[in-house]
Formats: sequence, structure tokens, C-alpha cells
Amino acid sequence: MEHNINKHISGKFNEELENVRNHVLSMGGLVEQQLNSALDAVAKGDGELAKKVKENDYRVNAMEVNIDEECTRIIAKRQPAASDLRLVVAIAKTIADLERIGDEAERIAKVALDSFTKDQQGLLANMENMGRLVSKMLHDVLDAFARMDAQKAFEVHKADEKVDREYEALTRQIMTYMMEDPRSIPRVMELIWSVRSLERIGDRCQNISEYVIYFVKGKDIRHVSQDMIAKTI
Amino acid sequence: MITVATEVNAANTHKLDLTNLTPEQTALQIKNLDLYYGEKQALANVSMDIPKGQVTAFIGPSGCGKSTLLRCINRMNDLVDTCRIEGQILLHGENIYDKRVDVAALRRNVGMVFQRPNPFPKSIYENVVYGLRLQGIKDKRKLDEVVEKSLRGAALWDEVKDRLHDSAFGLSGGQQQRLVIARSIAIEPEVLLLDEPTSALDPISTLVIEELISDLKDKYTVVIVTHNMQQAARVSDQTAFMYMGELIEYADTNTLFTTPSKKKTEDYITGRYG
Repeated sequence: MEHNINKHISGKFNEELENVRNHVLSMGGLVEQQLNSALDAVAKGDGELAKKVKENDYRVNAMEVNIDEECTRIIAKRQPAASDLRLVVAIAKTIADLERIGDEAERIAKVALDSFTKDQQGLLANMENMGRLVSKMLHDVLDAFARMDAQKAFEVHKADEKVDREYEALTRQIMTYMMEDPRSIPRVMELIWSVRSLERIGDRCQNISEYVIYFVKGKDIRHVSQDMIAKTI
Repeated sequence: MITVATEVNAANTHKLDLTNLTPEQTALQIKNLDLYYGEKQALANVSMDIPKGQVTAFIGPSGCGKSTLLRCINRMNDLVDTCRIEGQILLHGENIYDKRVDVAALRRNVGMVFQRPNPFPKSIYENVVYGLRLQGIKDKRKLDEVVEKSLRGAALWDEVKDRLHDSAFGLSGGQQQRLVIARSIAIEPEVLLLDEPTSALDPISTLVIEELISDLKDKYTVVIVTHNMQQAARVSDQTAFMYMGELIEYADTNTLFTTPSKKKTEDYITGRYG
């Protein structure tokens, strides 16, 4: 079934849904920018950029609060049903995950404030690779959200596996490094937290992909195997 | 945690298979029903099974045939001269349109409440016992008993118990509607048909009636026609969406209001034009 949010008899309702959807997209854009800035800051050791990420987090938080309020208002005034209801529920959940992705970006940016030795730079480069993977996941899931494209959302869902593998490899590498040079542990711990943050962002993108599929297909595919999801779509 | 999850699952899966009800679960079976007012076809090949002891709602835009279908269930359309009906409605496996059926007996078994409360110009007490008096019951104790039971059943007893012999016209609209429901259940029907029972009532009276409908289904099979979609969502166990005389979708209410399978249903319940 095709879902067009612009065909309600009430033009005002169209407008409200269109607005809240656009606000989610703006919030997504800001969070994406925060993550990319955090990754750039780490890659270039740019402390200024890292500070900016930290300063901008309040904007992400404020957007979550506003969109939440919009959703509550729509439920109270319009008593949405069927796909409208699923859209509002999906949005309320998506923004919660976006807000947490914002927090993780802030955490990652902190690494840029530390100084690393030359041979630790290798670890940073690997983290950057994983970061690009995760950043693409976020970009793609926001795209799937904008187009309300279940197939594309499913691609993101599957991409998380790659991020998880990357996470394991990187953790192993960092642990080896710590064992070889215990004095590096305090600094490298910061790094391992950031890698963990990246992995969490992957999970949250996967959550958002589930909400997109819920909206489009009307099926709750959380905690379901990929084969079953493929059948649903 | 596991028990919680199982309970949640049980709540979600506890719905009837509407296409395959057992005889014990079935109150009414509507089979290939066509209805014409003169040349105009008002119902087209409607088939559905209505489960026992549950609330079934008919929704749809004006003129879709939902009230017509409801009226078929106790043969109110017999009163319309130009009306012609084909197909069957089975109650206890017997076609209510069979020639041998006593229509008065059928209507005792299938009660009906209309949009506007229509109490008789009599006392509250006499309104409730009207059906029993018609049946020739005179025993005062028996009548008193039925009055209390029916008024309690219609959630009206506490408000009127001290003025049972006052005129029914002194009651508010919401109270009058509950009185009419009490009158209907006094003769203990199996099925209760409600034709937009709250559309002439204020929001609080509406809530009281809705609460009453949930209680009624313990004893009766309730079929309700409503223009208020949220009302259907709140009170019914299953919902039938009708459009231009056809039954478009019939499903358990939770499914129909969150994930309808037909586009026409989706458009109607979300307030879209097709």
C-alpha cells in the first residue's frame, strides 16, 4: 500500500504531519553533521572542531523535545489511525535514537582532545574506517526514512553486521596494543569507548530502520531474524 | 521477563478467526446478502459471521449500507415497501427470512436501540416492563425484579431508583438512552442492535453508554453502527468497514485500526480522500 501523507481531507492535518516529518529530517541532518564532525575532529586531531560538536549537542536535544511535543499534540488533536498512527509512533521512537546518536557523537569527539603517539595513529585510522561505515549507515537510514523506503531500510539493517565485525576486530587490536604497552592503557581506553560508541550508533541506525519498516509495512520486525524480515518485505 | 512476554503475546494472539468460527462461537451468519430499495442496490453480496458475546461494529461513510445491514438483522426493512432481500441471515442455523419465522419472536430475541432515545410516554417503571406486560406477565414481584435487574444492567438504577414512577421524559437524553437499553434487555434478547446509540448524546453520556456496551457483551451479542470511528475503536472487538453497499474489510478491531489491509479502509479511517 502506498502511503501519501498529503491526502487528508483536513489540510491542516497534512500540514502538521508534513512539518513533523520535516523536523525529523532536519534533526537527522544535524545529527549526521555532528557525527561527521566528530569523526573529522578525531582524524585531524582538531580540538576546536571537537569543542564545536560538544557545544552543538544542545541543539539536538532541543529538537528531540520539540518533535516529541509535536507528536503528542498530533495524537491529542487528531487521534491518528493506521499509517498515520504508525508514522507518529515511528517518529517518536526515531528521534529518541537520534538524540542518543548525538550523545555518542559527542563522546567520540572527546578523543580528538587527547594527543596520541605516532604508533597509536594506526589505531585512529582504523577507527576512522569504522566511523565511515557507521556514518554511511546513518546517512542511508535517514534517506530510507525520507523516502519511506522499506527495502532501503532493510539494507541498512543488514549493514550493521559489518559494523559489528569491524568492532570486534578493532577491539581485539586495541587489546593487543594495551597488553604490549600497559602504560598506554588510560589513553587507549578513551579510544575503546569511542569505538564502542560507534558500534552503538550502528545499533541505533538498525533500530531506526526497523521503525521505517514498521511504518511502511505495518509489521513489527524487532527481534526477528533477517530471513524473516526479508520475507516480510 | 519471559512470563511478561508470553502474556503480551497471548493478549495479541487472542483473536478469533472470523472466517472460521465454530458454531459455539457464532451468533449470526450473514450469507450472500443482497438488498434493493426499488431499483437501487443498497447491499451487495455481504457475507460475514458475527461472533457471540462480543461487540461488532459497522463503520463506513453515509449511505454505505451499514444501518441497512443492521436493520436486516431483526427484519426492520420488512417495513419498507420497496425493499427486496436476497440471501440469508442465520440465527441458530435458521434463516430469519424463512417464511415460517415469527417476526415478533425474532425481534424479542434481537433487540434494537436507535439514534434518538425513544422512551414511551409512561413512567420509568412501565417503560422497562412494557415487553413483559405484552407477554402477559403480571406478577408484581417478578416485574419489580426485572426492573431492578434491567436498570442495573443498563447502569441507570442508582440514578432512578427513587423515582421509578416518574415520567421517563423527565430523564436526560443520556439517561433516556440507557432506559431504552434497559427496556431492550428486560426481555433478555440474545442480540442487541445499536444504531448510532450515542450520536444524539453529550460526550459524558457517550462515555457512560460506551462503558455500558463493554459490560453488556458479557451477556449479549452486541452489533453497533457508529459514525464515530474512535468509538468503534474503543468499544468493539471486531470492525466491519462498508463502502457503497459492499463489505470491504472485516477484521479484529486492533488490526483494522493499526494495519488495515485494504486501501479503502486505510483512506477512510485516516480521513483521506481516495
